[in-house]
Amino acid sequence: MLILSMSMLLLCMFIYSCTTDPEITNWYNEDEYAAGGATTLYEATSGAFSTPAPNLSATAFEKHMAGDVSFESIFVTAPATNNAGLGPIFNDVSCVSCHTLDGRGDKPSVFRVSIPGTDAHGGPNPAPGFGGQLQDKAVFGVLPEGKVDINYVEEFYKYPDGSSYSLLRPVYAISDTYISLPPGTMLSVRAAPPVFGLGLLEAITEADILAAADEFDLNGDGISGKVNYVWDVVSATAKIGRFGWKANQPHLDQQTAGAFSGDMGITSTLFPTESAYGQIQDDGMGDDPEIDFEFLDITSFYTKTLAVPAPRGLEKPNVMLGKQLFFEIGCENCHRQKWTTGIATGIPELSNQTIYPYTDMLLHDMGPGLADNRPDYLASGSEWKTRPLWGIGLTAVANGHTRFLHDARARNLEEAILWHGGEAEKATTAFKNLSAGERAALIAFLEAL
Amino acid sequence: MVTTQKILLSSLILSITLLPLSSCKEDDPTDIETYDFQPILNHLAQHVITETYVDLHAKSISLVSAVTTLQTSPTAINLEAARQAWRDTRKPWEQSEGFLFGPVSTKGIDPSIDSWPVNVVDLEAVLGSGAVLSKEYIDGLEGTLKGFHTIEFLLWGEDGEKTVDLFTAREFEYLIATCQSLESNTNDLQNSWNVTGENFQSEIAEAGEDGSMYVSQKSAMQEIINGMIGIADEVANGKIYDPLSQLDVTLEESRFSANSKADFIDNIRSIQNLYAGLYMISGDGVTTFIVSENSELNALVEAQMQNAIDLIDAIPGTFTEAIFENPDAVTAAQESVRQLQETLQSQVKPLIDAI
Repeated sequence: MLILSMSMLLLCMFIYSCTTDPEITNWYNEDEYAAGGATTLYEATSGAFSTPAPNLSATAFEKHMAGDVSFESIFVTAPATNNAGLGPIFNDVSCVSCHTLDGRGDKPSVFRVSIPGTDAHGGPNPAPGFGGQLQDKAVFGVLPEGKVDINYVEEFYKYPDGSSYSLLRPVYAISDTYISLPPGTMLSVRAAPPVFGLGLLEAITEADILAAADEFDLNGDGISGKVNYVWDVVSATAKIGRFGWKANQPHLDQQTAGAFSGDMGITSTLFPTESAYGQIQDDGMGDDPEIDFEFLDITSFYTKTLAVPAPRGLEKPNVMLGKQLFFEIGCENCHRQKWTTGIATGIPELSNQTIYPYTDMLLHDMGPGLADNRPDYLASGSEWKTRPLWGIGLTAVANGHTRFLHDARARNLEEAILWHGGEAEKATTAFKNLSAGERAALIAFLEAL
Repeated sequence: MVTTQKILLSSLILSITLLPLSSCKEDDPTDIETYDFQPILNHLAQHVITETYVDLHAKSISLVSAVTTLQTSPTAINLEAARQAWRDTRKPWEQSEGFLFGPVSTKGIDPSIDSWPVNVVDLEAVLGSGAVLSKEYIDGLEGTLKGFHTIEFLLWGEDGEKTVDLFTAREFEYLIATCQSLESNTNDLQNSWNVTGENFQSEIAEAGEDGSMYVSQKSAMQEIINGMIGIADEVANGKIYDPLSQLDVTLEESRFSANSKADFIDNIRSIQNLYAGLYMISGDGVTTFIVSENSELNALVEAQMQNAIDLIDAIPGTFTEAIFENPDAVTAAQESVRQLQETLQSQVKPLIDAI
């Protein structure tokens, strides 16, 4: 009887809540289904990350589909009739080979290296003979620069409530280098992040990002969101960094050109010099740039105009509870829920959209556990850019795995949370102190995104 | 302020007693379904998809055997037998391209089986080197140095006119090793779907159940339809359109073997198999649902699938010749596939989306 009467009471509250009660409706917002505004895709299939935004004009759609072909193009050794220019040293042969179905890689695929100091623009100081990235593959007859050995040490812990968990701590070592590695070489290991929704993030105004920053924690909340300023090769000036695990790329054209160059050894109009230039294994073919401006442009456009998948089941009680906890324990302080985009030049489909990416676009100290100890422009060795969380619950269906964080060390969302240290330490501690049911609810919320 | 504990308690009660009332949004993608897709999903996963992969693996075993015979006894007859074994293996692969989701994508198997173009520069370099051409060696190479198109290149040559006396000993070794590598990749694929292996078929068959990868049966049906639309798009707007519009034979995928028309037809059969629920064993397919909703549309889809197959088949000569000599016939075939894609996209899919 007690249960019944409580149910009746709750029934009344709930029906009421759908209309007016701000106390309850706070945790369910129908608008949030449109996570990517008018670019939102309402489907939870393997195509969740790889579908064109539904609001593209016919012209934009055509360009997007041309970019789709470029994104899937597999490069081969020059000279060749089609897709020539691979390498001579590379990490993989196409964009999709790491960004599976435009999503997340399940293992490290890119290995950044540098030595102490900075380059002429304040960026990482390239390691002589290796550049800014260690390419672990090469065309036939050329030696890979080296390889990265990964060993995971499983560490066992207990929650305050006594239940146990374990984390895989990666230990990295570079071996089989084609020449000796310079002393003091720093290594940062990266997995491929999803590439959808990026045009929307690019369309967030600089003023809005700057307004969100609080580098010196003047508001005293223990969180010091910081803007990275990085070199823009197009304007030849320093710009706000937005993309990459350390926000070290100012815009998607440069991000894309950088990936062609560093990951595949494909030269472009933005980066016309081979990644192996000046090294003894440079092919010296003089066929650069290996892709023209249009090829680069449509590939970049493709990543700008992919749909953002809608959340699922936000009105479910445990998802609402999880969302409430997400806000209450402080996750949202960095994984900022909501933005409105400004004007996306040439892409009106992305302009003035209310979006729910769950990132503040800023750098945060994530503590020693996650630190790569390799500075990147203004990002210190323990600072990382807050990752967007939209679509994260679809990783299993789209990519067939649930490995997370910059080097894919976390085996599921729970482990990803538990790795958060530094400025997130307080929130992580609060998460550990939740009941098992509450922790499950918070994860259910993330899985609903 | 409502405390967390109270919310949790109320959540539990709500979830037990009030769930049907708890949705404030009518077009929520996880709305309760009104059609039971389970029989369709079960049959497609268990029989159509898994059996296609089982068939692919069986044929790839025969291919290894055929190229081994060719090495032992390099005759024109054995060369033709090896080429036929390649076509026989190619067939179930092309018939699987209507469902390029799941392990074939997420485990990175597709690039090892069907990368294009072939990295000819590196292939020649490997053949000219002293590398031991074992299966393990080939396994470690990029997709552009193994799989269907590398095997095709070796069996037919760049111009499709290679004769058996032109094969080198190294080429035979490479052929055998790369066919063994293909066999192992197709085995991995069938194993990943098979109930006796990793059983991915259960993700489709049990969609919407607790712990399933697919949040609803509808999502799994959307996956199937997207696969069908995707390959129709690929055939119409990529595989046929690109070489035709640019009059560039190097953009044609199975050019060395002149197998492109068969590739296209088998791609359409892949759509047909999912639609009809037929691969060796007949059962429920997408048609089961469409017939119940709109029998005229069902007839239209069936007619358009057959029309596409007929028009591709009616292209005179090889596809390579036809893009120059009979572009109208190629255009008609391309148009028929595009119409099928359009019907699937704008009429079939919305019926599932509306559930």
